[in-house]
Amino acid sequence: MDGHIKKVYMPMTETAFYILLCLQKETHGYGIIQAVQKMTQGAVRISPGTMYGSLSKMEKDGLIYFVCEENKRKIYHITYLGRQVLELEMKRIERLYNNMQEVGQYGKHEEGI
Amino acid sequence: MGSMKREFKFFTIPQWKQEQEYLRFQHNNGWRFINVTFPGFYHFEKCKPEDVIYQLDYNSEGRACKTGYVKLFQDCGWEYLQDFFGYSYFRKPASEMNGNEEIFCDDSSRLDFMKRVFKGRIIPLIIIFLCVIIPQIFINSHINNIYGKVFTGIYTSIAIVYLVIFLIFTIQVWQYCKTAKK
Repeated sequence: MDGHIKKVYMPMTETAFYILLCLQKETHGYGIIQAVQKMTQGAVRISPGTMYGSLSKMEKDGLIYFVCEENKRKIYHITYLGRQVLELEMKRIERLYNNMQEVGQYGKHEEGI
Repeated sequence: MGSMKREFKFFTIPQWKQEQEYLRFQHNNGWRFINVTFPGFYHFEKCKPEDVIYQLDYNSEGRACKTGYVKLFQDCGWEYLQDFFGYSYFRKPASEMNGNEEIFCDDSSRLDFMKRVFKGRIIPLIIIFLCVIIPQIFINSHINNIYGKVFTGIYTSIAIVYLVIFLIFTIQVWQYCKTAKK
């Protein structure tokens, strides 16, 4: 993994994370937008300009590859490098979550709740 | 057929925001944007006043693979209008939106957009500025006749316009960087 990938994707934006997460299955940009909207109950709505730019950037960086075109929509899938980057990011988020739980609990005890 | 109007308006390269606001303002006042033609004629037709959001993208890859690019925007409810000097024009009625929608939803992609504008439009300008405008000012200022003076004046004015464009672009980028995380 080279320095450019580390610089751009570690940590990565929320948009980039959801794109990689969804592209573990082959799908197109609009499919990702819909899936993310559904799994976040509408809290994260990715805009088309952001989606198009992110997909071309990730394809150039070798995190995803173009599979085929279906009904004018470009279908992508995650690469091996993409999986590695996603796994590292998942571990980082897991650490954040665990730390939040620990410190959060600790804070509550301090206040005597 | 409703009535039409044509307005001349000049927006420099980094003034996409002002242009978006201008088109929205027109639509709010009952003038639907039809197209823009060289060098800056905006054509409108009379319509029912409506709040419609206009957005500009700058994406050479999107322009190269037009169908997939336009399709993604259409899927999200954005109507594709035209390309003009590298910018692609989109619009979507505010009534069809969930709150405030834009074609970019995070600062990182807004900065990427500005980087594309910089590469596609500003760098060529800088090259012309350094390789043509500046040498011409220098050459003409050494010609001791009326033509020398006239051309020095012309090239100096162009240089000032260029500097203003660079300045506006720098301010826009700086404002975004201030709010962006990176």
